[in-house]
Amino acid sequence: MRPAQDNQGSFLGRISIRRNQFVDVNNEQEQEDLELFQKHIADRFTELLSPPSQQPPSDETNTVASVAATDQIMSVTWLRKLMDVFLCCEAEFKAILLMGRDPTQISKPPFDRLVPEMLDRSIKALDICTAVVNGIDSVRHYQRLAEIAVAALEQRPLGDGNVRRAKRALANLVVALSLEDKENVSGGGGGGGGGNKTTERSWSFGRRSGGSSAASKGGATIGQLKSSSWSVGRNWSAAKQIHAMATNLTPPRGNEAAGLPQPMFIMSTVLVFVMWVLTAAVPCQERSGLANHLPVPPKHLNWAQSLIGIHEKIGDEWKKKEKKGSAGLMEEMTRMEKLGHSLIEFADGFHYPAEKDAAESATAQVAEMAEICRRMEEELVPLQQQIREVFHRIVRSRAEILEVLEQAGKLSAPVV
Amino acid sequence: MSTPENRSGGSDVATFKTAEKIILRWDSATSEEAKENLIFQSGDREEVDRYLRAVDEVQRHISSISISDEVKAANSTIQIAMARLEDELRNILLSQTSTFEPDSLLLDSSLASSSSFASSLEEDNSVIDCDGNEEEQRIDLILPDGSDSGSSRLTRSRRSSSKSTSSIREIDLVSPEAVSDLRSIAQRMIEAGYSRECVQVYGNVRKSAMESIFKQLGIVRLGIGDVQRLDWETVELKIRRWIRAAKVCVRVVFASEKRLCEEIFDGIIEETCFMEIVKGSALQLFTFPEAISISRRSPEKLFKILDLHDALTDLLPDMEEIFDSSSSELILVQATEIQSRLAEAARGIITEFENAVFREPSVVPVPGGTIHPLTRYVMNYLNLISDYKQTLVDLIMSKPCPGLKCTNDPNKPDMDLTELEGCSPLSLHMIYTMVMLQFNLEEKSLHYKDEPLSHIFVMNNIHYIVEKVKSSPELRELIVDKYLRKLTGLFRQAATKYQRATWVRVLNSLRDEGLHVSGSFSSGVSRSALRERFKAFNTMFEEVHKVQSTWSVPDTQLREELRISLSEHLIPAYRSFLGRYRGHIESGRHPENYLKYSVEDLETAVLDFFEGYPTAPHLRRRSHQ
Repeated sequence: MRPAQDNQGSFLGRISIRRNQFVDVNNEQEQEDLELFQKHIADRFTELLSPPSQQPPSDETNTVASVAATDQIMSVTWLRKLMDVFLCCEAEFKAILLMGRDPTQISKPPFDRLVPEMLDRSIKALDICTAVVNGIDSVRHYQRLAEIAVAALEQRPLGDGNVRRAKRALANLVVALSLEDKENVSGGGGGGGGGNKTTERSWSFGRRSGGSSAASKGGATIGQLKSSSWSVGRNWSAAKQIHAMATNLTPPRGNEAAGLPQPMFIMSTVLVFVMWVLTAAVPCQERSGLANHLPVPPKHLNWAQSLIGIHEKIGDEWKKKEKKGSAGLMEEMTRMEKLGHSLIEFADGFHYPAEKDAAESATAQVAEMAEICRRMEEELVPLQQQIREVFHRIVRSRAEILEVLEQAGKLSAPVV
Repeated sequence: MSTPENRSGGSDVATFKTAEKIILRWDSATSEEAKENLIFQSGDREEVDRYLRAVDEVQRHISSISISDEVKAANSTIQIAMARLEDELRNILLSQTSTFEPDSLLLDSSLASSSSFASSLEEDNSVIDCDGNEEEQRIDLILPDGSDSGSSRLTRSRRSSSKSTSSIREIDLVSPEAVSDLRSIAQRMIEAGYSRECVQVYGNVRKSAMESIFKQLGIVRLGIGDVQRLDWETVELKIRRWIRAAKVCVRVVFASEKRLCEEIFDGIIEETCFMEIVKGSALQLFTFPEAISISRRSPEKLFKILDLHDALTDLLPDMEEIFDSSSSELILVQATEIQSRLAEAARGIITEFENAVFREPSVVPVPGGTIHPLTRYVMNYLNLISDYKQTLVDLIMSKPCPGLKCTNDPNKPDMDLTELEGCSPLSLHMIYTMVMLQFNLEEKSLHYKDEPLSHIFVMNNIHYIVEKVKSSPELRELIVDKYLRKLTGLFRQAATKYQRATWVRVLNSLRDEGLHVSGSFSSGVSRSALRERFKAFNTMFEEVHKVQSTWSVPDTQLREELRISLSEHLIPAYRSFLGRYRGHIESGRHPENYLKYSVEDLETAVLDFFEGYPTAPHLRRRSHQ
């Protein structure tokens, strides 16, 4: 009697194990979907790594060829493409995760662990979105400083007054662009110090003691940067956030690798990656060690190749910039900083009438700066809107997943 | 070169030279004195006027000349003047940032809001605190696990039915004198083409000022992740504070900031400046409700979510007035999105509540068949919902979806909605919740081993539901009479079932059948059968008395009615049985063994029933025949 019962027990047990491993009738269809998903991810990121219509972006030495570089990695245009890619991946993923799926399935192991982890990551991503939207506001601020300089330097005839005006704006600009996050934050946090400020005089511009020291003299310039207000928590750190999102992110193994855990891993990797790129691109609260916080997916995974490629490029750039301090890696900002320095140099050596060569090269630089401003004017707000859309999408997906879990009855703890 | 033009401009040139001199005197890049002092805050109004006139003069001069060298020189002067004005602008603004006194604003608003806590109300066990003391007003949620039936209750503050009427109230963020100075400076900077600088400086200083106002208002920077980690009690407190702060923020701070921009600038710049200043703050302000709107749903969150929803609904018209440009649209959009997500959350919670009520799993029977904590909880909850009727009637638009159709739960009771045509969806949801409750209670009643007690349990609980509805006018309005009558029928039916289950057996022992010896018509009563009957009755009654004295019918009136109805059956039957057969027993031996109780004894004993005594009192016998 007994042995028979035992047998039966283990037989039933085996069935349930098998079900957990997705060895079911729909398996083939599911496999197909998964492969397609991975292929799409790979395609999309490959396109981001090397846009088809252009030759692979050369490094930054060739900045003057600005117009051709619209699609360059980390340019505003590229970031907007990245947002589109994210939205596409997310939509596809959600279909795989939720469509036609038995709600009880995603509340069973290993999903009782994987799904909450994913939901937790999504909350963190929301705060990053908010921080990045704020960061883009700071970029708009740089844009306006650059516009002042452009407007002043476009004046003809170019006189001392124009040059001084441009120099002040440029000095503020380069300080802002090279500021460490920490300085930014402490500046912002000093908002409450409004009381102190009333007692002391506040000067926005340097004495004519001139030179490039104008930038460093801009004690009051930091005051200007108090503008960078962060809407995330006071001790919030973008780097820690990214780190926390990535800590429990490990590729599924064994049987799990063939099932739903795989796309969950892929989508989470994409999410963390995209958030990481955004925080590196624009000013963002507390980013020290950002480059180290992104776990690189194993190289042998096909879908991950291009993503890893992009990651390496940006990571290298970040490490370079982190040492000397940078507000962000957005391509336009990098160029703006370079142009800013070079125009300050021009302004410092300016004597009316300007030398022909210097004037010509300055004119070209001003034109490039104007072009950057124009592009920022056109694309920053749409980028913000896209990030907001990403935010909404994450919120919506999260709500849908919670609803499914609710149906599965797992979360409805004896409510009352 | 001596053209008429030039000659007539002779005096102009002289004035220009004077003006230039004034401006250069205040060039802080060249003069220590200029660096150390301020024009506008020196108190020397004449110097202020002189300086402004000088700037105007240079401006006028620029527009009248065309020779490139002169333009260049004049531009240089203007640049010096603008740099100076920019500094003056900044310093005036900075000197004005500390004039905001949020304490007085908060005080006002708390007074305003406390008056909106309507005072009429009594919820059992709850005391309403009318002075807006926020610590006292909390909803207390305890799981009705049957362990502590008395503590499962909801306390609350009754909401006002009338929405707050206060709206935009502008104050002077900057003194009127300073405003006029700022305006003079701004006008000149804009005229000279320095509007970007002007916006930058103005925006930066006001933005910092805004940040410190936020700090003073207690609006802390919290990320969505931070809010998710807080326990709900803390969140509730924060919601209450947020609502107050947000009202001040929108109606006073943002509105005043906008007015200040209007006073100093005109047109596009005014809008740019305003957005520059408030955009970040507004987004920060709304991060908190945003976090609430996407948090996990659970029943205890409903009311605070509705409070938040109502606060936003209140604020939106004012926000529409303040953020009326295309650039500020996104703030409105965000607030509207949050509002609709909160509405969605409220709807979701109500549906989930229905399911939760249906599924509430406790199986341990409540001792004595009294009110189940779940019943109390659900009814208090519904009562609270009815307080939010105004909001919810608009929010709840779809009818509940009972039965198999939507839930895939074959056990779930169906409800015939056609019977309740004409009810608002909110009413239907509340009734549906009560149907779920009723269904669950009936399930629970099956766990009583004693059948009559299960009827008492059902009777008590359904009666409680009916009384609860009747005692609240708001709830009464939502629960149609038809359903209430149905419930009344149900508890009456349970009472009848109880009586049948208990007393039919007892009363059977008082019947005439079987006492008469067959064949003998007149006085052929079997004494031994009679003795058995009396013994049986006594034992059964004693047993019933013993057990049912520990049962509980908490409602006095219901208890009384039940006893009366019980007496009406028992006493006459006993009296007549006693009257007819007492003689037969008394004429025999040991009549006291069989005639243990007088009618009065029973009448007294009935009073012990349903008192919920922990141990039954002894049935007293006074009769000594």
